[in-house]
Amino acid sequence: MVEINNITIKKAHEGLKDKSFSSLELTEEIFKVAANSESVLHAHLVLMHDEAVKKAKETDSRIAKDGMIGELDGIPLSIKDNMNLKGYGTTCSSKILSNYISPYDATVVKRLRENGTIFVGKTNLDEFAMGSSTENSAYGPTKNPWDPDCVPGGSSGGSAAVVSVGSALGSLGSDTGGSIRQPASFCGVVGFKPTYGTVSRFGLIAFASSLDQIGPITKTSEDAKIIYNAISGYDSKDATSLNLKSASLPEDSSAKVGIVKELMGEGIADDVKSEVERVIKILEEEGHQVSEVSLPMTKMAISIYYLIAPAECSANLARFDGVRFGLRKDGNTSYEMSDKTRAEGFGDEVKRRILLGTYALSAGYYDAYYGQALKARNQVVNEFKEVFKSVDYLISPTTPSTAFKFGEKTTNPLEMYMSDLCTIPANLAGLPAISIPTGIDDNGMPFSIQLMSPELTDISLLNFSSYIEKIIAFDQVPSKWRKEP
Amino acid sequence: MPEDFDIQEIAKLASIELNKDELKRLHKELEIILEHVEALSNIKLGDSDITIHPLGIDLTLRDDKVEEGLSHDESISNAPDRKDGYFKVPPSMD
Repeated sequence: MVEINNITIKKAHEGLKDKSFSSLELTEEIFKVAANSESVLHAHLVLMHDEAVKKAKETDSRIAKDGMIGELDGIPLSIKDNMNLKGYGTTCSSKILSNYISPYDATVVKRLRENGTIFVGKTNLDEFAMGSSTENSAYGPTKNPWDPDCVPGGSSGGSAAVVSVGSALGSLGSDTGGSIRQPASFCGVVGFKPTYGTVSRFGLIAFASSLDQIGPITKTSEDAKIIYNAISGYDSKDATSLNLKSASLPEDSSAKVGIVKELMGEGIADDVKSEVERVIKILEEEGHQVSEVSLPMTKMAISIYYLIAPAECSANLARFDGVRFGLRKDGNTSYEMSDKTRAEGFGDEVKRRILLGTYALSAGYYDAYYGQALKARNQVVNEFKEVFKSVDYLISPTTPSTAFKFGEKTTNPLEMYMSDLCTIPANLAGLPAISIPTGIDDNGMPFSIQLMSPELTDISLLNFSSYIEKIIAFDQVPSKWRKEP
Repeated sequence: MPEDFDIQEIAKLASIELNKDELKRLHKELEIILEHVEALSNIKLGDSDITIHPLGIDLTLRDDKVEEGLSHDESISNAPDRKDGYFKVPPSMD
């Protein structure tokens, strides 16, 4: 019997290595958790039980014969349903892709396969990764494992919930403005957005190409590093993929930490601020040099983001017109077919962003909106560069509040957009950023902090956050799912 | 906020058919969002550089070599309608 409650990838690997359990036993336990939780949480859109069991049996035989490939060999992981996994649907939680079957593997999926990963299933998200709560999924929302009345965050809400509850040992999410880190924060797990370009986007259904980045959601930073090492690296199939050497920073008490002044003020809940201050105090006690730094343009980050991301989304989603894949609604002309297909296939938030982006790119307004946003983005990049001359890492809250209730932010889109206040700057600047859980609020919902670092210092950031995790020693999991009902 | 903000025209450009209720609601929502992002127009950025790739790196193209990819059948396997290996669509004009 495998005790998988709170088991990490690292521990599972050790268990497989010393033959405490087999990959098949581990996989069956994971599916037991899924069976016990999915009817309430709705975190997976598809569970791949039969294929996973088959693969686990093959893995056990191969390991017995040839030994293990690496730390992900025989480890059950889930994939956000906006990445292609050959032979399975990729719905992006949209009606417009309800019948789409992936004819190929995304590069990240291919690399996980080569590392011996067992795929548990595809996870729920806000339609086309647009949202912060999974309430925009055409297939119904995912619930937060800590309190099913609360949202799990989004857009990678399913990917965060499965790790939190234990129906996968880790998962892949995608992060355009915080879609890995924000749900990880709401669900009390670790979410890592790598440097833009270090992980291939080939096979990820594009939302905003200059911002999108795939990354891991796990129980620990150490596990995030294991997945990051497997999926990162140059890919000729992604024109934005980097082939550059990584850089390193101090990873212990000699590291200098900057507190982002603008992310500790207006719009951030008092209890969230207090929690970040508690962590800062611990860092100071450990001997870190901690200072306040200013990034004035972060106040403009939401405005910049909500011009650039919709502009890119309006171009990227133009391909869903009923011709090559997905839903088709009949029309007398191909134009009418497209108009009707998109009207029927897209949900409200996706329509809103396509229209906003179309407007921002339209003749006469391009320079005033999109052009201005690109210039302002450059200022954000420059401000980060300047600040990183004096500090190694930046610390801030991940989210302005802990997980909110369903329906709380659905009436005014701007209110929902504000939940990405702290996470968007790292996307605009392409920087690595990680959210790690640190405590529990008065309502029993997880608190977290966000750490950011200069471009290409991903491994140092992961090692540093791992070091902080050990000091903070947060190890709680949602109590309701501790034992089988 | 531009005075000639025409949601019907934007919907046409975006190729999304919208009913009267949707037009009204989306017009209001876009107004709220555009009012918020208007703050950007007050910043003096002059002719400063723009950012496309956040790391300021040029896009790279792979070598022009034949590689194994999707077959023709796989490429069109998700098409809602097809004939003789082609995508089949209604005429472009009435």
